[in-house]
Amino acid sequence: MAEQYITLVTSLPYLPPFEKAERSPITRLRLEQRLHMLEPDDARQLVIAEALVSWRMSLSKPKSDQEMLLRCRAALQDISHPALREFVEFRLDQQTILAALRQRKHLNESSFLEQVNGGSRWARVISSNWDSPDFKLAAVYPWIPQARTYIEANDAGALDRLMMGIIWEQLSRIADSNRFGFEAVFAFVLKWDILQAWLARDAGKAKSRFQELIKEVTNVS
Amino acid sequence: MEPLILGLGWLGLYAPLGLAAIGSSVGCMRAGSAACGALLEVESGYGRFIGVAALPSSITIYGIVVTMSLRRELTLENSPGIFGLGVLTGLALLYCAIAQGDACTASINASKSKQEVFGISIAPAALIEGFAVFAFVFALVLAADIPK
Repeated sequence: MAEQYITLVTSLPYLPPFEKAERSPITRLRLEQRLHMLEPDDARQLVIAEALVSWRMSLSKPKSDQEMLLRCRAALQDISHPALREFVEFRLDQQTILAALRQRKHLNESSFLEQVNGGSRWARVISSNWDSPDFKLAAVYPWIPQARTYIEANDAGALDRLMMGIIWEQLSRIADSNRFGFEAVFAFVLKWDILQAWLARDAGKAKSRFQELIKEVTNVS
Repeated sequence: MEPLILGLGWLGLYAPLGLAAIGSSVGCMRAGSAACGALLEVESGYGRFIGVAALPSSITIYGIVVTMSLRRELTLENSPGIFGLGVLTGLALLYCAIAQGDACTASINASKSKQEVFGISIAPAALIEGFAVFAFVFALVLAADIPK
């Protein structure tokens, strides 16, 4: 139990469940100030992990799925903390499965393996079970049937809520494994990110952003 | 052989105080670190966090009293008894102090966000204090049976 992490953890406020929160209990600036107590190597790994798996991924826009996967793989090499690495892999797997569900709904192409080969441990399983409703992965990821239902119903809001809830629970479990260590710190930071994303939800802004993206795509083509 | 037995006697004589002091230091360090973190987060009630952080220090007092009660002229007859009683009491106090520090850390972390749980959150630390008191009292009782 590193003493500076005890100080860091107790200096962080209580995070209410994201669905019940009315405001963020700490600003990003203040959170950054507190995170100065992290060991340099832990801080570096947290920055890399945040860029990969925060709710609003901050990596620059990749040209293709393959490039995105290469970047993820390269970044993953720099994460040596077992719990953080496990969580990042969990999130990448989750994103891979969601991408597969979306691709099957919208494109109905089974070229998934070629696109994400090496990007996820489940890519081959997904490709082999492309016609199975849950890619035969529901036993490992019980949320897949529910996510599939939301994707088929085009209910992005409900899908977001479901995914946020799953990640939130996973992070809570990780934090409980070492309440006064790095696990508790990175779980807090990533949960705070979810909370921010939840509080920033705005249907009007989302619509205008969507229209901007449509214009961007139309202009490129 | 004789110097070894007498040496063990000296070890047992000082073990309750030495080990309890080590445990209290670790316990206070952990709870103190938590208190410092909580001070950054709360706007008032700083004193009680520092007070909770000081709880593990009480265990050193038990160590002092046990060492004083074991103090006598060391002989071949009483050294083994002093060694056994002193070292085991010291280990018990060491572990109690560290565990109490962790319990205080958890208490500070819980009560900084929810002040109404402050009293009840100290209960685990108080229980651990109780175990230290058991070790302390029975060490005093048994010390009386060791030949002078």
